[in-house]
Amino acid sequence: MTSIEVVESNLAVLVFVIPTLFSLIIFAFGRFSRLLREGLAFLGLLVTFLISIAIYQKVLSGYVLSAWKMTIYVDGLSALMEIIGSLMGLLIVLYSPRYLKKRGLPEEITPKRLGLYYGLLLLFLGTMNWTCATNNIVMLFVSLEATTLATTFLITFYWGKRASEAGYKYLLLVTIGVTFALFGCVLVYSASLPHLSGHEALLFTSIGKVAGKIPTSIVLLACAFFIAGFGTKAGLIPFHAWLPDAHAEAPAPISALLSGIVIKVGAYALVRTITVFAPHYNAIVVFVAIIASASMLIGICLALVQDDLKRMLAYSSISQIAYVIEGIGLGTYLGIYGGLFHLLNHTIIKGLLFLTAGALLYMTGTRSIQELQKVPKKMPITLFCFFIGSLAISGMPPFNGFLSKLTLFLAIAQRGLLWAAVIAVLTSLLTLACFVRAAYRIFWSKPAAQLATNPHSKEVPFSMWLGMGVLALLCIVIGIYPKLVYPILDSATRCILKILGG
Amino acid sequence: MIGGSLIVTLMIAHLIASVLAVEIRNLKLATIALCIQAFFLSSIFSAFASMSNNPSLYWWSLTAFITKVIIIPCLLLIYIRKLPKAEVTPVIGYTLSISILSIILIIFYRFVHTFIEFVAPTPEAMAEPARSCLTLSFMIFALGLYVLVVRKDAIKIVIGLCLLENGVHLSLVTLAPGLPETTVIGIATNVVIAAWLLLYLTGRIFKILGSTDTSILSELRR
Repeated sequence: MTSIEVVESNLAVLVFVIPTLFSLIIFAFGRFSRLLREGLAFLGLLVTFLISIAIYQKVLSGYVLSAWKMTIYVDGLSALMEIIGSLMGLLIVLYSPRYLKKRGLPEEITPKRLGLYYGLLLLFLGTMNWTCATNNIVMLFVSLEATTLATTFLITFYWGKRASEAGYKYLLLVTIGVTFALFGCVLVYSASLPHLSGHEALLFTSIGKVAGKIPTSIVLLACAFFIAGFGTKAGLIPFHAWLPDAHAEAPAPISALLSGIVIKVGAYALVRTITVFAPHYNAIVVFVAIIASASMLIGICLALVQDDLKRMLAYSSISQIAYVIEGIGLGTYLGIYGGLFHLLNHTIIKGLLFLTAGALLYMTGTRSIQELQKVPKKMPITLFCFFIGSLAISGMPPFNGFLSKLTLFLAIAQRGLLWAAVIAVLTSLLTLACFVRAAYRIFWSKPAAQLATNPHSKEVPFSMWLGMGVLALLCIVIGIYPKLVYPILDSATRCILKILGG
Repeated sequence: MIGGSLIVTLMIAHLIASVLAVEIRNLKLATIALCIQAFFLSSIFSAFASMSNNPSLYWWSLTAFITKVIIIPCLLLIYIRKLPKAEVTPVIGYTLSISILSIILIIFYRFVHTFIEFVAPTPEAMAEPARSCLTLSFMIFALGLYVLVVRKDAIKIVIGLCLLENGVHLSLVTLAPGLPETTVIGIATNVVIAAWLLLYLTGRIFKILGSTDTSILSELRR
């Protein structure tokens, strides 16, 4: 195993400055032509993606990039987040133009609003990459809140009654939650001050080294604040109230972004904060396991009773993000590895499922499973993608979800939390039941005869199924050939353990 | 050099203004109370700056003054002009609300002030007046939460959120006086943008539903 060396690099800064700059240009000129919004958005994301790849290669050769006196610190975990963020962004920008042209919207979609849409998308990516790059515990709050602010108007894109309500709930609840986390950040910073010199006490890399010296009462209080705060962003039960509404009411590509990336930013913040303390306090591990187990079980039970396809997917996200957080909260190599693997897989799978739900909505005009059942569909690609997504998310071999879930089950059992492992397996089975039932009802039940003449039953346009196809392919490829993602996950896990001083 | 007695006076004034911002039903007057509350917050920063010879706290004071005394109340007043002037009647009446509030505040005061070592990691933060200041910040935080939980009016909720943030901001001066200005500006800017977006959404929802009552936002609750 090679040792990790810290080097100064501008790439670490460019990765969040570039998308932010592009977003400003799109805000200013996006209204004038399609090229200036969709073209620039694609270009900006492509450049960010390439920068992320460059960072990835540096990280793999054993470096950690830093800038601005260590306040920016890009390690394997940051690189992982940046790559999946910009990849999802690219697919969403490809998917969006056709999708947003859909008929029957409450308000006419003007070029100005489309400019805002693409601008905010890039701004979100910029703030997200900033969150993943910052090494400053208080700036983590600032950038995380900035991601919330950037996504609010994406959720309310349709500006109907329900979309406005969902956006309002999202902004209010997540802001309140993250304010709690700020209290936690300040407590940790303050408690590290006696052991470190002024500037250093802000840096995660230094806090990790003195985590054992911080008074227990403060650690427990701060961790409770972190779990409540970042857990709200991640959508853990009981802080999840915003999640189903926002996922259901946002345009489908934005739902894919929310479920694929936005809630992962909350998980990322938890990784950076909780794992610092988890090795020193068993209580935190158990507490995280309890919250996560409750989330996965309740989440999937609520998903089972939904008729709205997007709400079902949203509740399943609550359940799946809990796997990620449970794994990471274990604080062991296998646990963190499994958690990050599932984070990556869930981004791919849920992105895929939300895009397929979008395709169904685009063609049939409904999200209700009961109504979808009645509409005859000739959508082979959508069917194929939905089928793969359903099996992958339930942890069926040979898809990617199987491997990450298996790793997690083993990690949980190894840590001695057998009850949690049982709940995790049970949840997986319920997920299978939930998704297979939905897939069966949507695609295989006989449509009613009187609706057989429905004109909107053909396959979605190429630009829309391209993204779905890429994600479905990734599900299979990673499932069959996991070595593809092993290096980055291994590097990310070792980077986390390095901060812990392990 | 400014003595501890001035800080105590400012803190009491801060607390009274906070309670007024919560309890006044006329939204315009409540906003003015919030503005005064923020003014005392900014004064407390200045007082600490003078007392502890830490000039960077003057910048904090200035940041708080610009964002919390000027911008947020202005935003609130602009939006209140377009919305109903009086708060949507809360479930809890005046007398009960003030009683509950007093109980919450007294409990928080007693608890945090007595068990300060649970939240204050440094000896400096445990000594007066920082000790009372930290206690006060927890009280304001609790006050903000109280508003968010029991009030239904969307504007009042924004006021509650501001109180919540002001509580955290106040804790920074005792827990983290060495925090760089850029970070403090970042936190304050976030609050301004969050408040503005919330007000904008409230305006949109008012246009659609004709009300600022958040309890009727139940379209999605099934």
